[in-house]
Amino acid sequence: MTILTPKFSENFLKTRSKLIFLIGSIFTSLGILLVTVGGSWDITNHLLSKPETFFSPPHALMYSGVAVSLTGVVLSFVGWKNLQNFKTSYFLPFKIKLIGIALLTGAGPLDFVWHSYFGLDGLLSPPHFTLITGMFLCSVGGMIGISRYLKFTNSHSIVKYLLVLAVIPVWLSASGIISSLSLPFSSTDFFEFNPEPTIAFIIASLAYPFLISFSSTLIFRLSNYQFGMLSILGGLFLLIYSSTAIVPNFAMFDTVQFYSLNLIPFVISDIFLKMNRSRISRFFVGGLLGSVFYMVYYPYVMYTYNEIFLGKLVSPSLIYFVYFELIQTVLIYTLIPAIILGILGVIISAKFSKKILMT
Amino acid sequence: MKKFLIYFSAFVILSLYFILTVFILPSEFLITEQLVPEPTFQTILSDSEITLGDSFRLDIVSVNNGDYADIHIVSVAFPDLIQLDDVVKIATYDFTLSPSYIYVDEEIGSKYSGGVETIRAQYPSIEAMSRPLKPGVPTHFDLVVTPQELGIFNIYVKSIGIPHTSSTSHYPYSGILDHQNEHVLVYSVTVNP
Repeated sequence: MTILTPKFSENFLKTRSKLIFLIGSIFTSLGILLVTVGGSWDITNHLLSKPETFFSPPHALMYSGVAVSLTGVVLSFVGWKNLQNFKTSYFLPFKIKLIGIALLTGAGPLDFVWHSYFGLDGLLSPPHFTLITGMFLCSVGGMIGISRYLKFTNSHSIVKYLLVLAVIPVWLSASGIISSLSLPFSSTDFFEFNPEPTIAFIIASLAYPFLISFSSTLIFRLSNYQFGMLSILGGLFLLIYSSTAIVPNFAMFDTVQFYSLNLIPFVISDIFLKMNRSRISRFFVGGLLGSVFYMVYYPYVMYTYNEIFLGKLVSPSLIYFVYFELIQTVLIYTLIPAIILGILGVIISAKFSKKILMT
Repeated sequence: MKKFLIYFSAFVILSLYFILTVFILPSEFLITEQLVPEPTFQTILSDSEITLGDSFRLDIVSVNNGDYADIHIVSVAFPDLIQLDDVVKIATYDFTLSPSYIYVDEEIGSKYSGGVETIRAQYPSIEAMSRPLKPGVPTHFDLVVTPQELGIFNIYVKSIGIPHTSSTSHYPYSGILDHQNEHVLVYSVTVNP
């Protein structure tokens, strides 16, 4: 028995290596999803001035996510090491995850030291940026790993819903990068990391529309044009944002009805692409999804535009007043670039999906 | 025909979406009543006259009588001082955030603008802050002051609720204006030899 066990383990690992790699990728993506949800919740807590210590619930969720991702990367390594074929194809996602997890785990102690020395920190700080970059890389690695597994194993349509779990952390962590480079939440007693308002305006107006369109059309391509994927992805994004950024602030609770309307562009895009996959149809979807970025990123995107247009002090109960005060002005200035960047998102996602699926 | 109907329905729904999110709902939300915090405070000054070297005490109990306040501030300023040093000590403090010390020449907000309009501080002050403050919850800010010069020692006290949405979102409502162009109540103690 003692002689058979290692052989059994070896055989098991070799026969199941691809599945282990997939589970590793799922854990990596799931972990990043937890980190991004915790991160969004943490931002809301900061705005509501809830007591901030390193051991707060959002931080606990974030670091649990890091642990899940770390487990995922370890499983990915075990799976990848025992692969009999496709070893080269799975190396890229593994490598990206490895770099990502190194940054993520390094950011934890750095964040603890930062909090200890400087207390309340801003959205953009060296440990936070390390964390967000690590999150983004891990989620990209997880997404490529899951997508390639589904492609190589010719998975059934039901398993393809794993792609939602693969793409949503990429979208959320990329949103985190854009937010940290555009929101004026990074001024503290010790450091002034707030972005220059005009640069923040340009970043938000171009990057958010691109990202919505890119993420939505990417999942559509990765799933081999499966109907419903885009709606589920968009719906999940809206659900996460509303539960972490709107519901915790009682003054904004009534605006959930406004926010839930944003599911409409995603469902309509899904229907359009189901009926017609021509270039014009895809560009229309890209432009549509890009054009609704100010609504999809409610409420915090308002802070970036408030800096340029109003310069008001926005306390938590005034968030939606200022948001709605700005909505028409923001759309006048950003609608055309947002549509263009939405279309660009479609073009880039087509190229990116080909690289992911190695077609 | 079926395709046409689907496209037509989609365009109608999208049009409704944009009309609702850009025009109708924003207008609806903008006409909803804003929160109006109404801060006020009561003070007890232990002495109106002291001998140089002695201390007096200023006890402030502040409360928000209006709507929920995102931020509730009680500011105590010392127009006769250049720096607080050993003159002012905090005795009791139960606001949710740590007190903020404002030094001469520091850039601070003015005219209840919440930082949109600013001035340079002409004298030191201490700001006590709770974020948020529900209505009816008393907060305490007690100071022990030991003047180091003879004469009249003045203290300015005011309270501000944020969002500052009404003329009752600050207290006092009228009277003497301080360096921030905001109304204050003045408490004076005579320091004798």
